[in-house]
Order: sequence, then C-alpha cells, then structure tokens
Amino acid sequence: MHIPSGLSLVREIEELSGQVVADCYQCGCCTSGCPVGEQMDPPPSKAIRLLQLNKAAELLASDGIWMCASCLVCGTRCPRAVDYARIAEACRALILRTRQSKVDPDTVTAPELEEIPQQAFIASFRKFSV
Amino acid sequence: MKYVYYPGCTLYTKARNLDACARKAAARVGFELTEMPSWNCCGAIYNTTTDDLAAQVGSVRNLAKASQLGEKLVTLCAACHNVLKRVDDRLHAQGNEVERDRLIAFVDEKFEHRVQVMHYLEVLKNDIGFDKVKEKVTKPLAGLKVASYYGCLMVRPREVLQFDDPENPQVMDDLMAALGAVPTPFDFKAECCGGYLVVNRRDVARTASKRILDNARARGAEAIVTTCPLCQYNVDKLRPGGDGAMPVFYFTQLLGLAVGLPVEELGFEYNAFDPKPFLAQKGLA
Repeated sequence: MHIPSGLSLVREIEELSGQVVADCYQCGCCTSGCPVGEQMDPPPSKAIRLLQLNKAAELLASDGIWMCASCLVCGTRCPRAVDYARIAEACRALILRTRQSKVDPDTVTAPELEEIPQQAFIASFRKFSV
Repeated sequence: MKYVYYPGCTLYTKARNLDACARKAAARVGFELTEMPSWNCCGAIYNTTTDDLAAQVGSVRNLAKASQLGEKLVTLCAACHNVLKRVDDRLHAQGNEVERDRLIAFVDEKFEHRVQVMHYLEVLKNDIGFDKVKEKVTKPLAGLKVASYYGCLMVRPREVLQFDDPENPQVMDDLMAALGAVPTPFDFKAECCGGYLVVNRRDVARTASKRILDNARARGAEAIVTTCPLCQYNVDKLRPGGDGAMPVFYFTQLLGLAVGLPVEELGFEYNAFDPKPFLAQKGLA
C-alpha cells in the first residue's frame, strides 16, 4: 500500500481518525494527563502540533505512536474534543497496512504466554502487528 | 432473575477466579448468569479507525447471538465490556445504517433486536440494588480499607460506557461499603495500568501500575479491588518480588467472601500474592 505524503498525509490521518487537528489549541491537557507521557516521544500535544505543521511523516517515523495504551485520558480531558488516541491509531494503521509490524508475536516467550492474560496479547497484536 | 452472560476468553483461564466467584455470588445474591452458547472473541480491544469494519465483526456476532436469547447481555471482564459496548454503540449510531446492515449481513446470525450490554456491577447496582446485596452479607468485611481501582476500560469513553464519572467513579466503592468494607479514596482510581503495553514494554506497564499501588497505600488502603484481568495482572504481578503486603483482589472475590462462599472456592491460589494470611489476620479466613 502506498502512503501519501505532505498535506494529503495529514488529511488521510484526519479521515482515518475522524479528528480535526486544527481544533487543537495546544493547551497540553492531554500530555499532562497521559500515564505514559514521560516516555512517549512525541507526547500527544506535540504530536498533534507536528500534524498542524504538516510534518506527518515525522510523526509516522516516531516511537510515540507505539506507546499509546488506548486509555483515552487525553481525549476525555481535551477541552476541544480532539481524541489523540484515535490519531495515534490512524498513524499506526497507515504503517501496519504496509505490512510492517511493531510487535512480532513470534518473540513472545513461553513463560510470558503462560502468565500474561490473553486479552493483552490480542490487544497488543491488534494494535501493533499485522 | 436470569441474564445472558458473556465470559470471554481470559475468564476461562487466567481469570477463572473472577468468573467463578461472580457466578456463585450471583446465585447467593439472587440472580442467575446463563452463559451464552458458542460465543466468540470480542476482539479484546476496540479498533477506532473509521474504515475498519472487519475489526467489529467478532463483537457484532456476539451481539446478534445474544439478541436471540434475551434483552440484556451481562459482561464481567472490563475489556469485553468496553469492546461490546462500543461496537453496539457504533452499530446503532444515527447515520450509520449502511455500515450496520453490512456488518449484520456478514455475521450470518439472526439479529433480533438491540440488546442492553450491562456490566455485572451495573446488575448489582441497578437491577438488584446495593441495599439488597447488603441484606445477603453473612460475613461483613470488618472495616477493611479497600481502594477500588477501575482503570480505563470501565469508564472511558464516558459518553458510550455511561458507567460512572470517568475521573472519580464510585460504583465499586459503594459495593464495598455494602459489603462492610471502608471505601478508601485515592488518586489513581481511573488511571491506566499500562494495559497491553506489558507485552512489549513491561517496564512502562510496571511504572504505571506501581504508581497505582503506591498511591493506594499512601492513602491508607489495606487492599485493592479490580474488575479487569489485565489491571489485576499488572498491579498484582508486576510489583517487585516479595511486596505482597497489599493484597489485590477481584471485586467478585470480596463479594463472594462477604456473601458467605467458602474461602477455598474464591480462587485465591490464582492471585499473584496469596491474600489468605492477610484475611486470616483480619478474622475473615
């Protein structure tokens, strides 16, 4: 699958996520509430800023979009009703649809399989693998 | 009262104690869970991309199947509840008729009507009533200071789940009070445990879940209750070895204990840290 570039890439992300990046006024509520915000690079508000500046390719190449646990605190607290979890998911979808995975199910070890609840595996593979 | 019940995959294996206590406690409280035959995976997580219909199919089939059996579909796993509720919402959203018809045609199960997806806690609160639950308590929880941990999936997105306040939920606290415990407020009731990130970023999930445990302890809680197998795993299991001082229970285990189920039927052997010495110390086991 071909990934579009520039402005058309931002439009594609908006369409897949159902969000409008221009709605964000950069208050930072999402980033301050994010439970993994300290480890997420870029954090939600900065990621949205990249899209506002037409730098979607930079966001797609980042590690941050793969750090989201879909807890939805960002979107719940957003005063402008922008849901960053949906934006991150759209970015991941564009990459996954080129058949590139972030998590390889084959790397899960036997003890992990024995111990971790299967809902975590299914969720992880659905979010991070093809 | 009889309900159609959807257990989901994890409740058959790693969270069998969450399930077993719920079924047995229901009988004591006065309702019955009838497991839906031939249910399939809900999908484990809701897929939000606007064009991905395939990700909804599993849950649509469950909803169709449930509609042949009753009016209400009861869930227990927070993840199943979240996914089924959101797929149901998407399916019946105004203006989404074309997508709905395509999905229903695809699953090859007769879709009788829209079912009400309800969490077990909602059955206790809305249909039974916590005052009635209180009447069934034979072993009050002796003023145990319990922090109710809800996580993300029970409360967000608020407009779809319509379960409770997404920042400061109370339902489980109210249940704990009815069981004779002392609900202990803390700051991370609806904070994420790190969820499925435990699969590839165990370090991140450990940091997130440790914060929850530490805060509950700092606010004076003696125990934590959860409603999600993944919250339970992350909070109970990922803490550094030996830190078993703060038991982490499924809410159904404490419910079962309070309504008089024998201790050996509460599945404590599946908790990461055995809570029996703690309960014995409190005169509850």
